[in-house]
Order: sequence, then structure tokens, then C-alpha cells
Amino acid sequence: MDVWEAIQGRRSIRSFKPDPIPEDLIRKLILEAGIWAPTGGNVQTWRFVVVTNPNVIHKIKMVAPGILGNPPVVIAICQDLDEAERKGSKLGRNVITLMDTALAAQNIMLVAYAQGIGTCLIASFHPGAVEEILHLPPPIVPQLLMSLGYPKVKSQAPKRNSRVVWFNEYSQ
Amino acid sequence: MSTRNKDELEQQFFELICYMVTSARNLIPENKLYGPFRLVDAVSRLIDVLQKLDLKSPRLEAIQKQIEEGKYMVMESDEKFTDFLENLVMSLVPLMQDKK
Repeated sequence: MDVWEAIQGRRSIRSFKPDPIPEDLIRKLILEAGIWAPTGGNVQTWRFVVVTNPNVIHKIKMVAPGILGNPPVVIAICQDLDEAERKGSKLGRNVITLMDTALAAQNIMLVAYAQGIGTCLIASFHPGAVEEILHLPPPIVPQLLMSLGYPKVKSQAPKRNSRVVWFNEYSQ
Repeated sequence: MSTRNKDELEQQFFELICYMVTSARNLIPENKLYGPFRLVDAVSRLIDVLQKLDLKSPRLEAIQKQIEEGKYMVMESDEKFTDFLENLVMSLVPLMQDKK
């Protein structure tokens, strides 16, 4: 699929078919797209916990109001904050991990879209509760959740504000 | 009601409670409009549970249908979402009945 088509055709999907996504495809989304995202200082401190067990997804949903619908897969995109600080100092720990997580997420979402899989990024969740449910050890923190599944309904594209570009200098 | 049904219902109410409590915490730093969104979404989830309790009614179904059709306007525009909520409230009035 053309990259423009993927960028402009992707939507946040909040209604999924129950069909499972093959595990090798999920692995491919992460290993051939997610970890190929840019990462500040090449720290690669992201960690991906793929949840396919319906009971665990069920528990995560209870503490993640942002997960809507019944996705068959949820990926917790996490960061090893201690390693991020060791490699990238405070800026790495507090800022760059968030950017890296978002960049990896976008790569996964675009490739997923090209494979016919719908995704939605979720920041509305309780990190502490998710850490407990997924047994994440202390330096590993979930920064974003991503729900994945075959879309039941495709949503409309919200209007884009195109008045956001300036060349050379900003003007009112 | 059988013990099994009771346990299932307790589980569904528990899930709804988790959703509402986590929302209460998470809404503190979130987008202001997510508050009304979570509230109406919780109403829709509550109607789901009530239906499993055999408390179905045309008016509850009508309310849920409206919520499910309109709740995602929160992602489109503040005005559309506000109009949706306004219409939702006004649609409750003709559904009101005298207390028996």
C-alpha cells in the first residue's frame, strides 16, 4: 500500500469483529514496523506487551476507560525508564520516551492498516493498575495502549485544520 | 434468580463500577468533554446490564440507541457533541411517566 494512502486512510477504530489476529502477524507489526521507528539517541528502550488472552483484556478494559469496543488484541507500549535515563539522561526519561512510544505506535498503526487491521491508541487508562495486571516490574511503565482488531465499522475522517503551516517565520 | 446469574450480574456491575471509578481518576487531567462522554457511555453500559436483569423497556432502548449513535461526536466537534447532549436531554422529557 502506498504510504499516502495509509496515512490518510487510517482511522481510529472503536468497534471490532471478534476474529483473532494471527500471532505471527502481530509479531511482524511490532518487529518489522514498530521497532523501526526513529528513537532518540538510538536508545530503543520501548517494550511491547501483547495481550491476546480475553480474560486479561477484560481486566485491562476495567481500568482503561479509553478502550471502546471489544478488541481481540491490546498492545501495551511500555518504556524501560531506568534504561532510558541511563542512556538519555532526564530528557530521555521524561520526554524522549514519550516521543519514541508515539513514533513506534504510528508505525504499527500504519502497517496494521495496510494489513486490514484497525487500531486505536489509548491514553485513558490507569498506569498503576495496568502495571499490576500485566506484572510489569518497576522500571517498565506503560505509556500507551493500542487496541487492534478487524474493523466492524469504519469511521469518518474528522475535518483537518490546514491553517497550521508557516514558512520561515510565524505570523498571526 | 440462580446463584450463577447473580454472580454474572455482580461481575457486570463490578466492571461498570471499575469503569466509572477509573474514569473519575483519569478525568482529572483529561479533555473537559471526556467527562460528559464517559457519563453517557456509562449510561449505555448501565442499560446493557439492566437488560440482562430483564429490565428492558422501549424508552431505555431508545436512550441507548441515541447514545450509541451520537457519543463519538465528541471526537468530531465540541458543538456537535453539545447539540447531541442537548437533544438527548430533551428526548427524555416525553419519555417521563407519572410516578405510580
